[in-house]
Amino acid sequence: MPRYAMAIDLSLCVGCAACAVACKMENEVPPGVHRLWIRERELGVFPDLTVEFRPEQCLHCANPPCVPVCPTGASYQTKDGLVLVDPGKCIACGACVAACPYDARYLHPGGYVDKCTFCAHRLEKGGVPACVETCPTGCRAFGDLDDPESPVAKALKEAGRVDVLRPELGTQPKLFYLNAPSKKGLSQEREVRHD
Amino acid sequence: MERRTFLKLTALSAGALALTQGGPAKARKTPWYAQEVRTVYQICEGCFWRCGIRAHAVGNRVYKVEGYAENPKSRGRLCPRGQGAPQTTYDPDRLKRPLIRLEGTERGEGKYRVATWEEALDYVAEKMLAIRERYGPEAMAFFGHGTGDFWFVDYLPAAWGSPNAAKPSVSICTAPREVAAQWIFGRPIGGHEPIDWENARYIVLIGHHIGEDTHNTQLQDFALALKRGARLVVVDPRFSTAAAKAHLWLPIKPGTDTALLLAWIHVLIYEDLYDKDYVARYTVGFEELKAHVKGFTPEWAEKETEIPAETIRRVAREMAAHKPRAVLPPGRHTVWYGDDTYRMMALYYVNVLLGNYGRPGGFYIAQSPYLEKYPTPPLPLEPAAGGCAGPSGGDHEPEGFRPRADKGRFFARTTAIQELIEPMLTGKPYPIRGLIAYGINLFHSIPNVPRTKEALKGLDLYVTIDVLPQEHVMWADVILPEATYLERYDDLVAVAHKTPFLQLRVPAHEPLFDTKPGWWIARELGLRLGLEAYFPWKTIEEYLDTRLQSIGLDLETMKSMGTLVQKGKPWLEDWEKEGRLPFGTPSGKIELYCQAFKAAGHQPLPVYTPPEEPPPGHYRLLYGRSPVHTFARTQNNWVLMEMDPENEVWIHREEAQKLGLKNGDYAYLINQDGVKEGPVRVKATERIRKDCVYLVHGFGHKAPLMRVAHGRGASDSYLQTRYRLDPISGGAGLRVNFVRLEKAERPHLPALSSLARRPLEERRM
Amino acid sequence: MTEFYGLPNAGEFWHWTNALHFVLVGLAGGVALLAAYLHLKRHEEARRYTLWALALIALDLFVLWAESPARFRFTHVWLFLSFHPQSPIGWGAWGLALSFLTGGLLFLGKGPQRALAWAFLLFSLVALAYPGMALAVNLNRPLWNALLAGLFPLTALVLALALAALLGSPWAREPLRLFAGASLLLTALYPLTLAPEARGHLLEEGGFPFLLFLLLGLGAFQERLGPWMGLLSAAGLRALLVLVGQWQGFGL
Ligand SMILES: Nc1nc2c(c(=O)[nH]1)N[C@H]1C(S)=C(S)[C@@H](COP(=O)(O)OP(=O)(O)OC[C@H]3O[C@@H](n4cnc5c(=O)[nH]c(N)nc54)[C@H](O)[C@@H]3O)O[C@H]1N2
Ligand SMILES: Nc1nc2c(c(=O)[nH]1)N[C@H]1C(S)=C(S)[C@@H](COP(=O)(O)OP(=O)(O)OC[C@H]3O[C@@H](n4cnc5c(=O)[nH]c(N)nc54)[C@H](O)[C@@H]3O)O[C@H]1N2
Ligand code: SF4
Ligand code: SF4
Ligand code: SF4
Ligand code: SF4
Ligand code: SF4
Ligand SMILES: [Mo]
Repeated sequence: MPRYAMAIDLSLCVGCAACAVACKMENEVPPGVHRLWIRERELGVFPDLTVEFRPEQCLHCANPPCVPVCPTGASYQTKDGLVLVDPGKCIACGACVAACPYDARYLHPGGYVDKCTFCAHRLEKGGVPACVETCPTGCRAFGDLDDPESPVAKALKEAGRVDVLRPELGTQPKLFYLNAPSKKGLSQEREVRHD
Repeated sequence: MERRTFLKLTALSAGALALTQGGPAKARKTPWYAQEVRTVYQICEGCFWRCGIRAHAVGNRVYKVEGYAENPKSRGRLCPRGQGAPQTTYDPDRLKRPLIRLEGTERGEGKYRVATWEEALDYVAEKMLAIRERYGPEAMAFFGHGTGDFWFVDYLPAAWGSPNAAKPSVSICTAPREVAAQWIFGRPIGGHEPIDWENARYIVLIGHHIGEDTHNTQLQDFALALKRGARLVVVDPRFSTAAAKAHLWLPIKPGTDTALLLAWIHVLIYEDLYDKDYVARYTVGFEELKAHVKGFTPEWAEKETEIPAETIRRVAREMAAHKPRAVLPPGRHTVWYGDDTYRMMALYYVNVLLGNYGRPGGFYIAQSPYLEKYPTPPLPLEPAAGGCAGPSGGDHEPEGFRPRADKGRFFARTTAIQELIEPMLTGKPYPIRGLIAYGINLFHSIPNVPRTKEALKGLDLYVTIDVLPQEHVMWADVILPEATYLERYDDLVAVAHKTPFLQLRVPAHEPLFDTKPGWWIARELGLRLGLEAYFPWKTIEEYLDTRLQSIGLDLETMKSMGTLVQKGKPWLEDWEKEGRLPFGTPSGKIELYCQAFKAAGHQPLPVYTPPEEPPPGHYRLLYGRSPVHTFARTQNNWVLMEMDPENEVWIHREEAQKLGLKNGDYAYLINQDGVKEGPVRVKATERIRKDCVYLVHGFGHKAPLMRVAHGRGASDSYLQTRYRLDPISGGAGLRVNFVRLEKAERPHLPALSSLARRPLEERRM
Repeated sequence: MTEFYGLPNAGEFWHWTNALHFVLVGLAGGVALLAAYLHLKRHEEARRYTLWALALIALDLFVLWAESPARFRFTHVWLFLSFHPQSPIGWGAWGLALSFLTGGLLFLGKGPQRALAWAFLLFSLVALAYPGMALAVNLNRPLWNALLAGLFPLTALVLALALAALLGSPWAREPLRLFAGASLLLTALYPLTLAPEARGHLLEEGGFPFLLFLLLGLGAFQERLGPWMGLLSAAGLRALLVLVGQWQGFGL
């Protein structure tokens, strides 16, 4: 069983949103909601500046708080470690939306909760997620964490620095951020509150 | 308890069993990829870079496009605009039927009736023939841009006999860099910047905001260079995305780059850091250059550029330490201040001193692929519009034909588009009475919009061929709706490249509504103009097949491969092996001193002119790209608009504070001539100098029928009521406008998502 | 400064309809517990309050269904085709359903009444407990801390007893004061249990109504308007905490 994971090298990501648009098209994500979005954050003062471009989506947590709270089993974890939603069982109660610390889930106008699937339908055919495929800077790596030859395992090994979002919550994300531009790691909202 | 075991327990009743089969109700419509998908090779029309793509369609709808590995432009990846571009085909606001302006209405009122193609084409042909009768064929101007522009700015005008054909992609884009390259290297830069990014070790970007400028291949290469450890210096008054990736950011005073480049030349020469062998073997004019830059010390440049002399020196030394794998890419949009050819000359000279032209890690030598034209009788004129790539053949005219109305004043062998507006107004040097605009945005691309509007009002005929009801489109006498890229064939696209290649566009489905492909429109018009000899073919398939036969291929084969890659000769070495050099200059070498410029009354060496200072209370207006938008053509595409729904005016935080503006407030921009734009959102930021403001180009649409785009943000183009002509290249320097800010109310606009949910059939016209 | 290409789904996901449910379910659970207790005490008003409980549960379930974006997909059957012990909402669904069942049997006088009364008590306790749990399990939302697991059942009892007082049951007055006092104490303590940032957010977004509901709660000890005050205060607090508490904190 593969253990799918993704890594994004922030030293290369330019925040172009090709990934976000590809996701929108591939998955017919309706207007007004997103499976994938880019947070762009300015840090520092002229001329000592840094900008962090940080794409965000479901992290397919190994310990996903969104799954146990689901009353119908619509939210579940596959053997490959994907966290998915079965629309046929979802009652749109929002418990999983409340439980996700990353705002990764949204209510689909079809009356169910939806989010990034790591493009499970493409993985089934041996492909990679649409966002990974298109990324012009090639800063996204995907694959099996347990296979040392997989792009994601290699990227993690070569990275100077590896971060995950909100590690203190113990969610064990499988979306890793590599080489964050700030020495302090991933930026936090409180750092940019001055405006 | 395990979900599944519990299920088994509960699924005992027959009802429950039935439920487990399909779910209580069909929760979700079948996704496109689970249906019968048809795939064709296509070419992206999200911008003019034209990446090779594959389009996946179900029925009459393309759901997804992808790059493919065999195509040297996309290499399997696409930029955001390319990914989102299909939405334009399914935009309810798109042009759907031929339209003729209502009798008795003025241009600009936007009142139209639906017409048949017959009627619309007859109308255009009749008026064109009348213009020719009265004023001669050159009184018809042809403006165009895009993959289909060949028919309208190259072929048709040359067959018809007008040299007044032009594209915005030269004199409002690349003219200075092309002219400088042509006269220094004897070769153009071309549509695809020939930089060997992957081997470069030290890269200096002058402006050139890669990352926001998302030309796909270039962005891929840029990232590859970074990944391989290249050091990056970015010279930009604004902390661009590229600057965020740089090891060093030089926040230069706008308009002073030539001073910086001259100082670098000074250091390279006077500190003896340049590549002496290279200069000796491949160049002429070094001594003149050396004498010229004697006084341009870093200390001198510091006063102009506000970059410390020490930093200027350090960068020059670092460049030299990495030569020949240090490179200063030319940038693309180079019409900045009106003295831009000089800046580009200086930039090339730095490169030459680093010995990188024709060497790995520097500039490679791009070559065009081999392909024959379709055999037609020789055209009376040679096309004058050119590509991005500068020279076409059209700078001389055969007996009986008038010269271009931009008076042949410029070194660009292609027409300066903005210089064709004046003759429409003044009739000098001769009248231009008619205009066909194919895929060019007259009000968003050409500076001095009031003048353009005035000129359009006076024409005898104004025709647009477009896909959207853009503001300038809704001024035309006749509007011919083109089928979008996904719905049509076009001519083969031949790309000069490290590995030259050809690519093909195949329609993914029939044109929606009553729209037609450009080739069909051009041919039908040609037949009505008595040019049938130049359109001997009947179908585009026949045309393409014949051309492909010339290289031993045929259309069916090409349809199954999309791209054909040929071999190039990228390095000086390759040429020297054949006993020659690639330089097409009079001396056959790289010219560090340009006799031709001197002979025409310009300077043979790059000169620096300090920029005009902003008037009190004003800021210099700079502009650039949004990564998810292309010029002014994508703002009605809701998928892309969701990512970046309005442009913002960037202003330094302290300046904003002085004006009482906070981040997220709205403001009007008012330029030196009193033109008011906006309201536009304020981005109060540390990421820009205090003497300038910045806007992303392409917003501020005023076309009421472009419902998504309408009223969002501000137009840089409307604020560019003046431009400074580069007398050498004919380029229109656009960064010579100044604005002040005035607080405004937040505009009330319909929500994007509700606009996005409109049905495709919503509008009949 | 933070900007976005595309938007994270950070908006409110539980709206006023959900807040209404959180009030109604408190009332329903509280009245059910009361009814079960009265059954066990063989109180003469047991049947009357059982009927109220049944009506309120039905009303709440109707509201839940009506506001559900999935209302016409009938996926709600999955609530009862499975049981997920870590899902408070799952407990709630079962709790409410079984309360309704046991309460109904009690009302009709069918089945072993004593055992049913105990079961009714148990299930109503579940229904009473689950809303607070549904919030408290979200460790990522700093305003929904463990204290809510206590506060919500207490306010539910306040709601139920206030209703009983209004319906003219004099025995409800004394316990109403008791539970109102307890819930007021927790409410007053609540801001102190929050991290400074979360407290700041609470005060910024809901400071005024929070104070208002706290003061109203004091009014529960008043003789004449006491039940009304208690009812308003408890309902308001529940709704407020559901709505304002969706805040993620300055995490990302
Ligand atoms: N997403 C996207 N990408 C595009 C396009 C698009 O529409 N959308 N268009 C394509 C086309 S045709 C072109 S021509 C290119 C244009 O893109 P580029 O060739 O990169 O254009 P530039 O004008 O060099 O870059 C704009 C940058 O110059 C900076 N600048 C302004 N004034 C000065 C100055 O005086 N000195 C210096 N050093 N910098 C200055 C601005 O702050 C801004 O960051 O983009 C191409 N790529
Ligand atoms: N103010 C200002 N002016 C600029 C620039 C700037 O940055 N600021 N940039 C300059 C540069 S670098 C360039 S290259 C030029 C670009 O100038 P343009 O090419 O004029 O730019 P677009 O806004 O993309 O306009 C393209 C037009 O083609 C239409 N179109 C799109 N697809 C199709 C199609 O398939 N068929 C047909 N027939 N029409 C189609 C669009 O609706 C639109 O009207 O602009 C230049 N002008
Ligand atoms: S496509 Fe790649 S570079 Fe662009 S925003 Fe997404 S991850 Fe970053
Ligand atoms: S990111 Fe959110 S939705 Fe995705 S697995 Fe983790 S908790 Fe669940
Ligand atoms: S919204 Fe759907 S997936 Fe989420 S917890 Fe409720 S039933 Fe489960
Ligand atoms: S993996 Fe697929 S679903 Fe997830 S963000 Fe990428 S494209 Fe979207
Ligand atoms: S660069 Fe982007 S928009 Fe332009 S052709 Fe390539 S994919 Fe399309
Ligand atoms: Mo351009």
